[in-house]
Amino acid sequence: MKKFIISFIIFSALFSCKSQLPQLVKIEGKQTTVNETIASNKTIENTIKPYREKVEKEMSTVISYTPINLYRNDGNLESSLGNLMADLSYERANLVFNSRTGKNIDFAMFNYGGIRAGISKGNITNESAFNLMPFENSLVVVELTSEKIMELVNYLISENVAHPLSKQFNLTVTEKGSDLKINNAALDTSKTYFVLTSDYLQTGGDNMNFFKDPVNIYLLDYKVRNAIIDYFKATDTIKVSLDGRFRNEKTLKN
Amino acid sequence: MKRRNFIQKSTAATAFLTLGGLSLQSFASKNTKHITILHTNDVHSHIDPFPITDSRYPNMGGVARRATLVEAIRKENPNTLLLDAGDIFQGTPYFNFYGGELEFKLMSMLKYDAATIGNHDFDNGIDGLFAQLPHAQFDFLSANYDFKNTVLNSHIKPYKIFVKDGIKIGVFGLGIELQGLVDPKMYKETLYLDPLEIAQDMSRILKEDEYCDLVICLSHLGYHYKTEKISDLELASKTKNIDLIIGGHTHTFLPKPTVTKNSVGENVLVNQVGCFGLNLGRIDFYFDNDKNLASKGKSIIV
Repeated sequence: MKKFIISFIIFSALFSCKSQLPQLVKIEGKQTTVNETIASNKTIENTIKPYREKVEKEMSTVISYTPINLYRNDGNLESSLGNLMADLSYERANLVFNSRTGKNIDFAMFNYGGIRAGISKGNITNESAFNLMPFENSLVVVELTSEKIMELVNYLISENVAHPLSKQFNLTVTEKGSDLKINNAALDTSKTYFVLTSDYLQTGGDNMNFFKDPVNIYLLDYKVRNAIIDYFKATDTIKVSLDGRFRNEKTLKN
Repeated sequence: MKRRNFIQKSTAATAFLTLGGLSLQSFASKNTKHITILHTNDVHSHIDPFPITDSRYPNMGGVARRATLVEAIRKENPNTLLLDAGDIFQGTPYFNFYGGELEFKLMSMLKYDAATIGNHDFDNGIDGLFAQLPHAQFDFLSANYDFKNTVLNSHIKPYKIFVKDGIKIGVFGLGIELQGLVDPKMYKETLYLDPLEIAQDMSRILKEDEYCDLVICLSHLGYHYKTEKISDLELASKTKNIDLIIGGHTHTFLPKPTVTKNSVGENVLVNQVGCFGLNLGRIDFYFDNDKNLASKGKSIIV
C-alpha cells in the first residue's frame, strides 16, 4: 500500500494536474449455470441436513387416504379433484365465515389451472397438499350482485373447462341456453351472493374479472393449503364423486 | 484470457510512462483495479437442487453448489461483492416450515454483502421478516420503502457504501409497489415511494456527495413491462450515474446482460439471472488510473 501511495504521488506529479481518479475502463458480464458439475460445499450441506430431514419427515406424514386416483381432468366440465377442492374449501371456510358474520357462503369457485398436481390412490401426505397447492393463496369471500353471477356463468360457459365449483352450484348448458341453480334455487336478481374464492382470483387472476369489484369482500386469513390440510387431517377416507354440477347437455346429445 | 490481454495492454501503457526515467514498476501492478459483482434474484427458498426427475430444471441449482462457485471466485478476486435482488422467501417447504431462517443462515454463510426486499419477502408479514433478521449477517437495502411506522424502522438502510481495493461502491435498493401484489395486512404501514424519484436522488447522493466510483441499483421492480409500469429498463433510461442495475421479480432469463443508455446517453448494464438459484450472475469492473487508457472510454464485453 505504501508503495502504491508513493507511486501515486509520483504519478500525480508527472501529470501535474488534479489527482487522477480511478477510471472505469472495462466491464465484463457473464453468467454461470449452477448444475451437477459444481461440487457441493460440505459445510453448507451439513448445515442444511437437519432441516431437510425434518422437512422430509413432516412432508411424508400420512394425513388421510383416498381409495381412488384424484385428478383434475377425469370429467368433462368437472373433476374429482376439482369437486373435492371446492367442497372442502367451502366446508372449512364456511365455519370461519359463519362464525364471523352469521351468514353462509353460497358457493365456491376456483380455477382449473390452480390445481397443480393430482393425488394418487392410497395414503395422502402433507406433501400431497403442498403439491396440490404450492402457492400461498388465501381464501376470500366476495359478495356479488346477480349481474356479476351472470358474468361468472358466462365466463364458465365460454371457458368450457372444469373450473372447480362446489356442490351448491349447478349449471347445465342446454340447446336453449343454460340452467343455473344455486342451492337448488334459480338466480334471484334481487339478492346478492356470497362466493368463496382465492385472493389470487379475486384480484383478477385467470381473468375472473367478475370477482374484482364486489359489493363486499371478507378476507378469511385462511390459506387454501391450510384448509386442504385441515380437511385431510379431519377426514379418514376421502369420498368424492362426479355429480354433474357443471355439465353440457348439448355435447351429450350430439 | 481476455483479462490477461487487458493487463498486458495496461503494462504497455505504464512502460510508456517509464520513458520519463522514473521506474514506476511497482505502480504497474497497482494501477489496475478489479471489482467483481456476483448476484442472484428470486431464489424463492430453493435450497436444494431440483430433483433429477424435474421436467424443467433437472438437477439444477442448489445453495451448496453456489457456495463452491462463490468461494472459487472470491479466491480468484477477493474484491468481490455478492448481492441478491429479493424474493428470497417462498417456494419450497423450507420456507413454510422455518419461515426463512435457513435461507438467511445460508446466505450469511455464503457471505452475501447485501440484499433488497422482494414482495414475497412479506409472505409471513412484515413481522415474519423482522423475526428472521437476526439470522441475516448482511444488510437489507431499500430506498423506496419507508418503514418508519413499522417494526423494520431503522433495520433497513436505503444504501450502503462498500470499499474494495480503494474503490467506492455505492449500492442502493428499490422495491416494487406492494399494493395489489401483497395483502396490506402483511406489509402494514410500509410506504411505497416513487422508485424513479428515489433512484435519481440515490444516484446523485452516491455519485456527487459520496464520490462513489461505482453505483449499483439492487432492484425488485422487474425487468420490463408492456404497460407504463416502472421497470429496470425504464429506470435505466430515466436516470444517470447508475453503472449497473441488478434486477428481479419477473424471473427473466437473459442470454447476456443488457446494455442500454441512460438519460445522458451513457451506457448502463441491466442484468437478471432468472430465478431459483439456477444461475449466478457475474459482472467484472476494471478500473485504471492511467489517463491515456481511461480517455479511450470504457469497453463493455458481454
